[in-house]
Amino acid sequence: MRRSWKDPAWRAEFRNGARELLPVAPGILAWGLVTGVAMVKSGLSVPLALLMSLLVYAGSAQLAALPLIAASAPAWIIAVTALATNMRFVIYGAATRRWLTQYSTRRRSLLGYISGDFSFVLFMNRLEKEGAFAHRDAWLFGVCVMNWLIWQVASIAGIVGGAFIPTNWGLQFAGTLALLPLVMPSVRSWAGAAGALAAGSVSMAANAWPYKSGLLAGVVVGITVATVVDSFTNSVGAEARP
Amino acid sequence: MNNVATSDVLLAIVSLVLATFITRAGMLLVGDRLSLSRHVEAALRFAPACALTALVLPEVLGPAGVLDLSLGNARWPAALASAAFLLWRNNVLGGIAVGMGTYTVLVVLAR
Repeated sequence: MRRSWKDPAWRAEFRNGARELLPVAPGILAWGLVTGVAMVKSGLSVPLALLMSLLVYAGSAQLAALPLIAASAPAWIIAVTALATNMRFVIYGAATRRWLTQYSTRRRSLLGYISGDFSFVLFMNRLEKEGAFAHRDAWLFGVCVMNWLIWQVASIAGIVGGAFIPTNWGLQFAGTLALLPLVMPSVRSWAGAAGALAAGSVSMAANAWPYKSGLLAGVVVGITVATVVDSFTNSVGAEARP
Repeated sequence: MNNVATSDVLLAIVSLVLATFITRAGMLLVGDRLSLSRHVEAALRFAPACALTALVLPEVLGPAGVLDLSLGNARWPAALASAAFLLWRNNVLGGIAVGMGTYTVLVVLAR
């Protein structure tokens, strides 16, 4: 890692990645703040909430675990809940895996550990445009480190100021809005749009399922629908060609 | 949570760290031991679009858990306004501002 950092081209890509994330910063700030406030409002002490934020760094899993911790649930139930809530990251890992195989185990561990929804979508969008670009580990690190910093600042602010921050002011909606511009380029193809529509509908209909399993079901159905539509539109296109 | 022992919370944090590490880094670490078919690899390029809509749509169309397309749910008109702005000007901050502005106006009007 130290050797990479000495390479100016590597550092430049790291900076590019960090800059790439800045436009969605308000969304990350909003989500981080909401999660920080929720941690202290659930009764977690400030030091433990800080520790959880810094080490776990997984908003939806933390929110799912809070009521279980408050009810003194056994650790294995908390672990299973977090695994289920985080299941979408396994799909992200499967999708990005082949672009990162050349890097060391340590580097892949770290990249995986600090990755999230934003870094995944931004990384896939750039790969779609440019293919296997040079120093993609640096670029991804830049995105992830910036995301981590913004999230922690907001989460810590929420933990420290939690008692003074009202929870019912639609703040987390800003986080949702920050995701919109990331969706829009990927739904320009028929297959992408059909898959997204299916994924969203299933996720909405199965919203009440436990452990965010409705979200996972939506992603799986969406990918399947997109693939079917893609093979259909592609084969139609091929036949239409002279 | 004052009645929950600190050691129990620490154990919970360790469980959360492990579960998060396994799900996020696991696939990157299995390396060549797992080979996905070309079909699966090709299908996974649709994962970003599907994951994001699966995250966003329930938040917008049914923040209370069930589908709510009445004006009592200010989120869907706000998201629509934000998306329209994004199509017009590709400006992320502007999109968030337009969305939150619409949302706030609708919430205040509903009072």
